[in-house]
Amino acid sequence: MSELNHGRASGRGLVRGPQSLVAGIGLVALALFGFWASGDLPQGTLRAMGPGLMPRWLSVGVGICGLGLVLAAFLKDGEPLARAAWRGPVVVTLAIFAFAVTIRPFTFGSVTMPGLGLIVAGPLAVIVGGFATPEARLRELVILALFLTAGCMLLFGDLLNLPIPIFPVAVVDALSGTLSTRTLLRLAAGLLAVGGLALLFLERAQRRQPVDVAHHSMTT
Amino acid sequence: MSDLVSNLGLGFSIALSLQNLALCFLGCLVGTLIGVLPGVGPIATIAMLLPITFGLDPVGALIMLAGIYYGAQYGGSTTAILVNIPGEATSVITTLDGHQMARQGRAGIALGIAAIGSFCAGTVATMLIAAIGAPLTRLALVFGPAEYFALMVMGLVFAVVLARGSILKAVAMILVGILLATVGTDLETGQERLTFGLAFLTDGIDFSVLAMGLFGIAEILRNLDHTETRDVVRQHIGRLLPGRAELRQAAGPILRGTAIGSTLGILPGNGAVLGPFAAYTVEKRIARDPSRFGRGAIEGVAGPESANNAGAQTSFIPLLTLGIPPNAVMALMVGAMTIHGIVPGPGVMTKNPNLFWGMIASMWLGNLMLLIINLPLVGVWVRLLKVPYRLMFPAILMFCAIGIYSINALPTDVMLIALFGLIGYALIKFGFEPAPLLLGFVLGKLMEEYLRRALTLSRGDAMVFLERPICAGLFAISIIMLVAALTPSLRRSRDDVFSEA
Amino acid sequence: MTRTLTRRLAGLALIAGAAAGLGLAAPGALADAYPQRPITMVVPFAAGGPTDVVARIVADHMSRTLGQQVVIENVTGAGGTTGITRAAQAAPDGYTIMMGHMGTHGAAPALFKGLKYDPATSFDPIGMAAGTPIVIVAKKDFAAPDLKAFLAAVKSGGASVNQAHAGVGSVSHSTGVLFDSIIGAKPTLVVYRGTGPALNDLMAGQVDFMTDQIVNVAPQINGGTIKAYAIATPERSPALPNVPTTKEAGLDNYEVSAWNAVFAPKGLPKDVSAALVNALGKALEDESTRKRILDLGGTVPPTAERGPAALQKLVESEVARWTPVLRAAVDGNN
Repeated sequence: MSELNHGRASGRGLVRGPQSLVAGIGLVALALFGFWASGDLPQGTLRAMGPGLMPRWLSVGVGICGLGLVLAAFLKDGEPLARAAWRGPVVVTLAIFAFAVTIRPFTFGSVTMPGLGLIVAGPLAVIVGGFATPEARLRELVILALFLTAGCMLLFGDLLNLPIPIFPVAVVDALSGTLSTRTLLRLAAGLLAVGGLALLFLERAQRRQPVDVAHHSMTT
Repeated sequence: MSDLVSNLGLGFSIALSLQNLALCFLGCLVGTLIGVLPGVGPIATIAMLLPITFGLDPVGALIMLAGIYYGAQYGGSTTAILVNIPGEATSVITTLDGHQMARQGRAGIALGIAAIGSFCAGTVATMLIAAIGAPLTRLALVFGPAEYFALMVMGLVFAVVLARGSILKAVAMILVGILLATVGTDLETGQERLTFGLAFLTDGIDFSVLAMGLFGIAEILRNLDHTETRDVVRQHIGRLLPGRAELRQAAGPILRGTAIGSTLGILPGNGAVLGPFAAYTVEKRIARDPSRFGRGAIEGVAGPESANNAGAQTSFIPLLTLGIPPNAVMALMVGAMTIHGIVPGPGVMTKNPNLFWGMIASMWLGNLMLLIINLPLVGVWVRLLKVPYRLMFPAILMFCAIGIYSINALPTDVMLIALFGLIGYALIKFGFEPAPLLLGFVLGKLMEEYLRRALTLSRGDAMVFLERPICAGLFAISIIMLVAALTPSLRRSRDDVFSEA
Repeated sequence: MTRTLTRRLAGLALIAGAAAGLGLAAPGALADAYPQRPITMVVPFAAGGPTDVVARIVADHMSRTLGQQVVIENVTGAGGTTGITRAAQAAPDGYTIMMGHMGTHGAAPALFKGLKYDPATSFDPIGMAAGTPIVIVAKKDFAAPDLKAFLAAVKSGGASVNQAHAGVGSVSHSTGVLFDSIIGAKPTLVVYRGTGPALNDLMAGQVDFMTDQIVNVAPQINGGTIKAYAIATPERSPALPNVPTTKEAGLDNYEVSAWNAVFAPKGLPKDVSAALVNALGKALEDESTRKRILDLGGTVPPTAERGPAALQKLVESEVARWTPVLRAAVDGNN
């Protein structure tokens, strides 16, 4: 495919390498941004280099590379612009942000998200993220989410003992004193796994039926 | 010589006790596990496991913690090869050819060579520590800020050399990487640089966040673009372990990587970071057909992996003999030692010979255990690749998010991996390689510090870099490497100046 | 295959963690007595550093008194202020406490303009945990035979003398610029990322001197790779018996130590506060805990100087002491 476009691109006159052109413009923009953002930092001298010296000269360097790419775009044939998909990047970003704002209490401006812990944030990330591909099937993702979350709770919370919030803050407060955190964690992980197993068997059972029918119809 | 034998004898008599063997095995196992989990690094794990070691005797505790450290190095290469996520700066290089091999259905061979190379490197490095560790440390003190600056410049030249596509783009990526490294509070004046008043940027960008975004998340996004080809590729599994031909091919790179890695690991200024880059560059330079590199060359896995593990082992030398931790994990080991009432420093070897030699012996045993743990696991990992991608990537996403969160407990870090993932995706679309950016980021931070320190000490006289022989020598090597990298492209027609194969 | 491995792994981890695990498995006895679940102690510095080590030693014993695990959470960044800011904003229920430090509760207001807490008013002080004396160290071939000669050399040397420190906001920076301002010297400051690299260059003779916590420098001093001129405490330290105090060596007003103290967010219920004060006090009276701190070269403050009231006073006096010195140093730099 790129071969085809390649041929076309060379015949298109002025811009012979569209990819280089856009990449170069991007670098020049980044350089200008870096130059501007480090503008208020003192440069210092060689003897006592200021904090602004490196960012400033790095920006200049990036800018020169950018200009070089722009120049190259006019001088030689290059790759065409690549096609980018939107579904993947948008959905994956959404999934990661969903995890970030639910794992612990998170304040953004005047809105405060309650901390829901891994038991909510984990499945959220898996299920939302799963829809980044058009092949996604909800039930499959739910089963995966249940198993993965149970596994991760045991792995990170129990085995590795990492300080990750597992349960919603409210639940921890309500249950404090009745059950040790670790018992609660193992119980909940067990429940999730059982739920996952139940769903899995349900799906197996449902899937087997139509297959069986097809099989019989073939033989008869 | 007889000293060495009796010392090693003492070491093995300690390391082979039932309890210490069990602790070593446990450390290696936990290390492998956290190494494989993207984002969860040895730092967080060792910090969390420290209280558990309170009840153990110090030698056993440190044997276990050391096991976690080098076990994580082993495990980290598994993730780098299978899902293209470098857990640490040192496994960035492994992704280049290792992941390509996995995409071609040679994941088993890549994993096997990584494990075997690491074992060989570990063995040699252990011998090295035992035999000449102490005298070598004194040599390391000749390295002042000027020499370290030259070393970092050399590292950046390596980054140009190992780039695959256009040299101009590689240089641009390195510069952007260094620029990203300057974000955060300025060490010298305490002023905030390029933070735009955002609190989560005051300490700069975490390496794991950048690496996971640019490599891990971006790789997922790229794979989502073309589903059909990807799953077909993943069904091809190929042979599980490297055969004789591959072993022969990898033997040279493993030896060279070990030599390079152990030498750089001795430097207290975190020289070990350079090991894999240097090893890769050397392999690519001496290869008959350098164009294979970046497309699944076995030497590109064997060399850097050996250098990586050798460096991980020899970086214990400055810790044990000088009491100076070369990196964050080693700093944690210092803490572990002090908690157990052992003061690391020049006296450890004479005051606690049990600890010193016991740890060294346990390192070799640990490497053997890691080989035994990892080779059978290769089959398991490779089978994991058979999981349909539509189920695989949500799982990777979740592990990444948990792993990154566990580093600093900051939700903003988790959001940043999404941002860097998008940037990484855009970079791929515009024909940029993320590896040079990451190398620029790692080396840039150190480079600026060493440069400013060297110039402060020389009172602003740049001649300091030429007057010191080691420093001048390193610069000479860099220039030769750079010219060698540029010439093939200069020889070609002018149109091709900006893209070297 | 994977499952058996995981199970084996879990088993092994359980054996090793049995001691720690037992504490967790036994739930709190009474329904409303504090504490009913594990307590988080925020340590604003990286695991393995001097503050972290002190916190872990103290927390280990406090867990036993309180009957609940005191879990250390390292939240690093911005000279320790990131972790303290987060802990200060936590609910004052006794389940989040923190290990404060000379930097976060003394020097920070001078160094960080947008500081979101006030060391003197945003916290309920629990008590002092440990002090870490500061030692004046120099490269081993520095010519001066004693502190007096050293001070003269640093003063007359001016900018030709190199003084190392571990970054703005670090203990070596704060105590170093205090030292310079007291003796009236203006050496060239050379910055390192952390004490380790700074010590390395001191050993190699790249820099001339620095001031740092005894924990960091004692092994090198005893190993003879660097030399110590004085220790900035009223009494000599058992970890460095041959090093004179600043007063003995002829420098009267340089007495400084990097202290660590436990704080809680403002507004703690009285009984919770009392339980924490009691647990900390018990920890510091325990022989083995004391010994571990002393072995590090640290000091355990006498009972009268470590209660909540004494700590409150200390914080106020430290802020007053550091602010002018550090402001001057940082402004001079810009």
